[in-house]
Amino acid sequence: MYRKFDPVEGKNAEIIEAVMNCEEVKNIDEGLQFKVRLCVEEVEENILSYSGTTWVSIQAEEDGNSLVICFKDGGTPFDPLAKDDPDITSNLDDREVGGLGIFLCKQMMDSIEYRHENGSNILTMKLRIA
Amino acid sequence: MEVSINKTEDKTLVKVNGRIDTTTAESFNEAIAPLMAPEAGAIEIDCSELDYTSSQGLRIFLMLQKAVSANKGSLVLTNMQAPVKEVFDITGFSSIIKII
Repeated sequence: MYRKFDPVEGKNAEIIEAVMNCEEVKNIDEGLQFKVRLCVEEVEENILSYSGTTWVSIQAEEDGNSLVICFKDGGTPFDPLAKDDPDITSNLDDREVGGLGIFLCKQMMDSIEYRHENGSNILTMKLRIA
Repeated sequence: MEVSINKTEDKTLVKVNGRIDTTTAESFNEAIAPLMAPEAGAIEIDCSELDYTSSQGLRIFLMLQKAVSANKGSLVLTNMQAPVKEVFDITGFSSIIKII
């Protein structure tokens, strides 16, 4: 599945449903679908909030035993994975929500990588499905 | 996403159904805003039909827990589905919000 959303503003829900309804995703185990939905939401929310891009493309494909989801956008170069992980042991008063989304993706996916190439941010996530 | 709130004599029973995500987080926040009031007392949220939450939902649960603690009330989440519980576990939220 490949889809490009241009313009992308206000398309959060549409992007998630496009991924969830594609052939590569809709037949996998429900627990894995939950992870895909969560990680797609967190990544695209991050892109739409911070990158200032006007477009996003998303590709989902099977690669051997894995599902590979690749996001591309034309916004400001930004590596969301470079940020320190949130302190998940701090007490209630000190607890912050910032950074939890990308942290969840790092924990739930088998791999997640960022690169900047030809003016685009490219984030690739892999999840073992078989 | 739907929220129902029922006040009984000794606690407030809340039921949340569906998904808390980018699209629905604001409605969820508005629906539970009254629970952040000082007089809210004991709150129990039935999560048996909460199918999904992203960090957008976690943010709201955290704000609620902070308000409840400041108000010396209580908050408990019940019957959470396994994938949702995993989100709370991975982020360490299970150690700051009571889940039974």
